[in-house]
Amino acid sequence: MPTFPSVEWFNAIKDLVNSDPAFRQLGTVDSVVGVKVGNKVYELTFEAFECTNVREATENALRDMDFWLEQPYDKWQEMLQNIKRNGAADLQHTLNTIDLNMPDGFARSHDGYRRDAFYRFNQSIQDFFNASAKIDTQFAEPAAVA
Amino acid sequence: MANETVPVSIPDNLAAKAREKGWPLDLVQQALAAGAQPAQIIQYMDQGVTADQARQFLAAQAGGGKELSEEIRAKAEASAWPIELVQAAVNMGAAEGDLMRFMEMGVTAEQARQFMAQGGQAQLDLSWMNVPTEWNTRARPTKHGLTLDAINIGKYGEVPDVWEHQTEMPRGAFPIPGVEGMGYSIYQKQEVWSDACAPLYEESIQRRWRPATDVPWTTIEPLDDDLERGACQVMTYLSEKAQLEADVLGRWEPEISYGYHEVKLYLATVIFEGARAVEVFRKRALSNGGGLGIQSPGWSHRSVIDARNFSEMATVQMVLQDSLTLAEYQFGEMYAHNAAEKFIFTRAMQDKARHLAYGVSHLKYVLLRRDDRREEMQRYLDKGETALLMDDRKDHATRPAWAIYFGGGTANIGEGLRVYNQMRRRFIEQYLARLKWATLDRGERLLPGLRAFIDSE
Repeated sequence: MPTFPSVEWFNAIKDLVNSDPAFRQLGTVDSVVGVKVGNKVYELTFEAFECTNVREATENALRDMDFWLEQPYDKWQEMLQNIKRNGAADLQHTLNTIDLNMPDGFARSHDGYRRDAFYRFNQSIQDFFNASAKIDTQFAEPAAVA
Repeated sequence: MANETVPVSIPDNLAAKAREKGWPLDLVQQALAAGAQPAQIIQYMDQGVTADQARQFLAAQAGGGKELSEEIRAKAEASAWPIELVQAAVNMGAAEGDLMRFMEMGVTAEQARQFMAQGGQAQLDLSWMNVPTEWNTRARPTKHGLTLDAINIGKYGEVPDVWEHQTEMPRGAFPIPGVEGMGYSIYQKQEVWSDACAPLYEESIQRRWRPATDVPWTTIEPLDDDLERGACQVMTYLSEKAQLEADVLGRWEPEISYGYHEVKLYLATVIFEGARAVEVFRKRALSNGGGLGIQSPGWSHRSVIDARNFSEMATVQMVLQDSLTLAEYQFGEMYAHNAAEKFIFTRAMQDKARHLAYGVSHLKYVLLRRDDRREEMQRYLDKGETALLMDDRKDHATRPAWAIYFGGGTANIGEGLRVYNQMRRRFIEQYLARLKWATLDRGERLLPGLRAFIDSE
């Protein structure tokens, strides 16, 4: 059972979406997306019709990404548990809704143009996280990401 | 055909054309002696065949033909074409590549012989096959497939700063004289270009969606009458705005010359996506017991329609107006009342973000090359923002309709208005961030009526 957050967990999701024809049907995605969970940073690379790479990164690397997703650890847990429970994010837990509910935003970027990739590829990124409903996730102890 | 020069008289019109095109008269005489007709030679000249090319052709004829490559010999043997037949075809001017293609297509030796017996190029004018365009182009598919960027190689990928042709000649093709102009008015790259055009076009084609069957329409359930009225007014407003964008871009499309086909192609997808938005918002309005609402005052519409140059239109419509529309879609998604609306706003959001990517990257392209146009762009935005504020003052329906949509009904309209102001604040913040990326500082110039939304909290 992969642990969130970890490269192993993101790779499990990557394998799921890359073998899912429905993900391909959403169209091309070309974006480098960061995921920041506490002190952990992960870089997801999407190219053409698939997620091509997952790696652990540093805070400095965020500057080179199109945008990154950041929220408190308990909110990450809530989002993923909601997805698991419903098979996909419900109306209150979509990436866009979370983004609008956070004063500093969920999708962040140092670049006013590249941040719009969050909107351009929104459904694909959403489906990436929705795929986590298909695996059993073990959550890391909060102290491990604090 | 003989090697020695045969004294043949050259008609006056042919001699004049030869001087115009830089063909020496001895070469013309040589061609006439080889049996070419004056009109045929003039045609070659008009098609751009150079004197050198003609000389090479005649030399090949005189020498009994070019030597055949090993490749075509092997292919001919495999296709049961006698080598004499291939040599004869090459001597008549056929290219080896074409002959090999015919063989691959299954053309038999007998068919080829019949074609040549009819005179080949003597009866069918195949002079166009000698067109001096860039040949041997072999674009290769990428991970994204065979994209526009993938075929932009060699001369075909050279996008000139100024396009010289008034016709619909494709970029990289060979022009012929006498073709009538097509009435384009935009011949400067900086007026329309963005390096993002080609990838945005491909993205738009790949990420297309179908309102009729993709939207989960059956998830829509009856809403309270006041909420349905609010929703339908919002849908009327969004549908109307989308129609405007499609109409406006449809008017500009034929103004852009063919040299910038990437822009034309991308804008065609924006027009299509405008149509799709018209369709989907109208469908939502008419699918749950409601109907359409009242039309908008249209002040902002005029600010876009009245644009006198393309960059003005693109900046006002595809940076200012689309920033507002994208914020509306974002909040529409957040407050959607069912999965169908959620779906609609998410997909419309993706489309709109692409439109913005073009608008913002085009603006940056202009500003980095034409610093003198900075103040001009600021003034277009002054006008665009003024019209937008005029809509705010004159439009008595859209704001309360959104507030009802956000609040879930008239009973909670106060909360809905708070969300509405949040939406406008987000629009302004993102609008300014995009302009900043495009190297345009709008901070001090932003009209007070819009600044109020970011100063209020």
